[in-house]
Amino acid sequence: MIGMIGMMGVVLASAASAVGDVLTSEAMYQSAMRFAIVLGFAAVGEWIAERAGTLNISIEAMMIGGAYSSAVAWGAFDNVPIALAIGVVAGVVVSLVQAHLSHQLSIDQFVVGLTLNLFVLGLALFLDSRWEAVTSVVKPTKVPLLHDIPLVGEALFGQPWPMYLIVPIVPLAWWLVFRTRWGLEIRSVGDNPQSADVSGIHVNRRRREAIMVAGACAGLGGGVLVLGQISIAGYEAGHVGLKGIIAIAAVIFGGWTLRGTLIGCVLFGYFFALQQTLPVLGYRINAQLAASLPYIVALLVTAVFATRTRQPRALAQPFVRGLT
Amino acid sequence: MEGAGASALAPAVRLTGVTKRYGPVVACAGVDLELLPGEVHGILGENGAGKSTLMKILIGLVQPDEGTVELGGREVVIHDPQTAAELGIGMVHQHLSLVEALTVWENVLLGDASKFDRSAARRQVMETADHYGLEIDPDRRVGELSAGLRQRVELIKCLRRDPKILILDEPTSVLTPAESEQLFTTLRDVVAAEQRAVALVSHKLAEILHATDCITIMRQGRVVERSRTVEATAPALAKAMVGRDVSLRTSAAAFGAIDLIDQGTAADQALRAERDEAAAAVAASDRAARPVVLTIDRARLVRDGVTVLDDLSIEVRAGEIVGIAGVEGNGQRELGDLLSSLVTLDGGSVSVNGTTARTGRAGCMADLGIGVIPEDRHDSGCVLDMSVAENLMLDRIDSTARMGLIDRKRMRARAVELMREFDIQAAGPDAPFGSLSGGNQQRVVLARELGHRPTVLVAAQPTRGLDVGAIEYMSNRLRAAADSGIAVLLISTELEEILALSNRIVVLSRGRAIGELDRREATSERLGLLLGGVGIDEPTGASA
Repeated sequence: MIGMIGMMGVVLASAASAVGDVLTSEAMYQSAMRFAIVLGFAAVGEWIAERAGTLNISIEAMMIGGAYSSAVAWGAFDNVPIALAIGVVAGVVVSLVQAHLSHQLSIDQFVVGLTLNLFVLGLALFLDSRWEAVTSVVKPTKVPLLHDIPLVGEALFGQPWPMYLIVPIVPLAWWLVFRTRWGLEIRSVGDNPQSADVSGIHVNRRRREAIMVAGACAGLGGGVLVLGQISIAGYEAGHVGLKGIIAIAAVIFGGWTLRGTLIGCVLFGYFFALQQTLPVLGYRINAQLAASLPYIVALLVTAVFATRTRQPRALAQPFVRGLT
Repeated sequence: MEGAGASALAPAVRLTGVTKRYGPVVACAGVDLELLPGEVHGILGENGAGKSTLMKILIGLVQPDEGTVELGGREVVIHDPQTAAELGIGMVHQHLSLVEALTVWENVLLGDASKFDRSAARRQVMETADHYGLEIDPDRRVGELSAGLRQRVELIKCLRRDPKILILDEPTSVLTPAESEQLFTTLRDVVAAEQRAVALVSHKLAEILHATDCITIMRQGRVVERSRTVEATAPALAKAMVGRDVSLRTSAAAFGAIDLIDQGTAADQALRAERDEAAAAVAASDRAARPVVLTIDRARLVRDGVTVLDDLSIEVRAGEIVGIAGVEGNGQRELGDLLSSLVTLDGGSVSVNGTTARTGRAGCMADLGIGVIPEDRHDSGCVLDMSVAENLMLDRIDSTARMGLIDRKRMRARAVELMREFDIQAAGPDAPFGSLSGGNQQRVVLARELGHRPTVLVAAQPTRGLDVGAIEYMSNRLRAAADSGIAVLLISTELEEILALSNRIVVLSRGRAIGELDRREATSERLGLLLGGVGIDEPTGASA
């Protein structure tokens, strides 16, 4: 523990000296925004699943499924919308497994989630060795004039177009949860499933649906990751690299509010970008340390922000009728 | 549709031969029941008599093994609460069906099939509220409301769907007397003016006699008696319900029906009361000479910015029962938590025989000899999945262990001893705790705590949800505990229970002791005033 804090100190000190460079680096903003957006897709989905009462750790598996499938489909069809759609389908397929095992067959959601995370990771590796997915990155769409804004112009208005899908998805998610009957029921099953049940709501059905929405979002996030993210040609092992888990941390950081969750995504996106950008800016830090930076931050953040008062009261509690 | 005359007589609901088994336990055995429109039908019975199961069948939460359900002469199968709602059956649940994180209007809308429209929903809530005189703010979060207001929301939620049949399951268990009275007034309206059929499930004789038109009494899953309310008397009902003569004074006190029963033998009662009083006076002076065992000194506790215990000071002497009275949510739960070592005080201290506890450390209170019968035995009193023996030994497993290994033989032997001493009805020491009835579960908790030979016994709502027999047993045990020299702190929201058992009464309001009375000077009126002095409808920030 002390060692870790020491490491953090070194990192922060070097980060402090680099602050000036980082703040004036256009690439840094661009990279941070990309990470934040990719995290955002998964985090929005995870937020909905958690509001319905599932701490859906297989969000990672859903992202991996989406990423690999999108990459393969991109190679096969050379069509971005189709590739993304197939990524969504893959995310939903994984979510169907999670939803039905945990909320129909009543298997512990964490056991299912952990198993899925390992299984899908392994499956994607295996399949990748057979059908290697080759991708090139979608060219950035530059919004005229706006992308010329200094520093943040490229980050906000010069991204590959799939990144912008986050723009309709966030308000849509908010509207679904807070302005529809489905959303009301989602919130009720996450907070007090017994009450929801006697009110005539199918608790586990709603929870399954919420997990599927999470699967769709995470699958899309995975797709955007491989198609619009970084100049890596094709799906690689560890491409998703626990970003799903970081998305969970973002939800916790955000206190189970949508706005807070998005702020969390930007925060973690920043640290992911730091790891990429610092070497480019000429700062030498231990590569392993740099790579672990977002996760260390996530650990600290969840330790501080994971308070019971703000979470849905039935989070991670299975629902069985008659158990009051 | 039948003719007007026929439908007025036709029952809204007819249950025929309804049977439900849970493994070897028969919850309902061939129950026949008819609910007529325009009537409040009281369903009376001890806990475990099958009345809740019967209602759950009506609302679709439980499927019967045998028997039929007819609505308006047509046989129906009620798969789930959704179906029940569509058929016009609404229920006000004992543990309400509200979601605390949602607002009033969102809760009212929950489970509905209508369009999701905020302003229309809010308007409807207010209209329904107006119509029945149940004033409520539709935008408040339910978590912020008092128990009485929550039930109001529940009732509005139910009535808004215009049910033909309305079921109320133990509706007054969390209400103040004034709130209960208001509930029954509303019920009268609903029944008389709108010809709905109402089933009122309760084990309180007083409210059954007060609020119903006819009564069905259940015992051990069977209907044992039906009568018109006007012909019924409290002693007769009590006897039919329990199936044996119970000590009416104890049970009546626990029921809140003491006025009704006392009428018959007023002179006799007065005489006895006088004698009791004289004895009590002697005993009281005797007790005053005994040493103070438990001292809570200016205890202060702040939760989420709300002061839930506010400079609370209580002393309990050896051999006396001190009753903590008060409307629910005024710090009772926190006081119980404190004495269960669950919270750390922000100020003040707790000491037993001069030794001060380090509050909040696991087991600190138990180390001082404080035994606790917790408020919610399922939540914090026991482990449902473990056996009776394991539950009995749970907190002093050391005494049955050798070098860290449990000696099961010794544990079982000790458990059998305790089961005999406390008359615990179970298949054996290895029976799963969850298979016991509520009364027996509570006896296990009691046996465990008393088996310790504690110096202080804290009993939080010890008879909540228990039947007459179990209440009587529990009351006697608490008295016996005090007589043996244990300092007993009784935390209860049932005024009658406090009056029946306590030597001294402390009234709690907003986490503060606002009055202390000797039992002899505590009349219902004086207590009522103390309770009412803080505004009954909107008590305390404790629940916020």
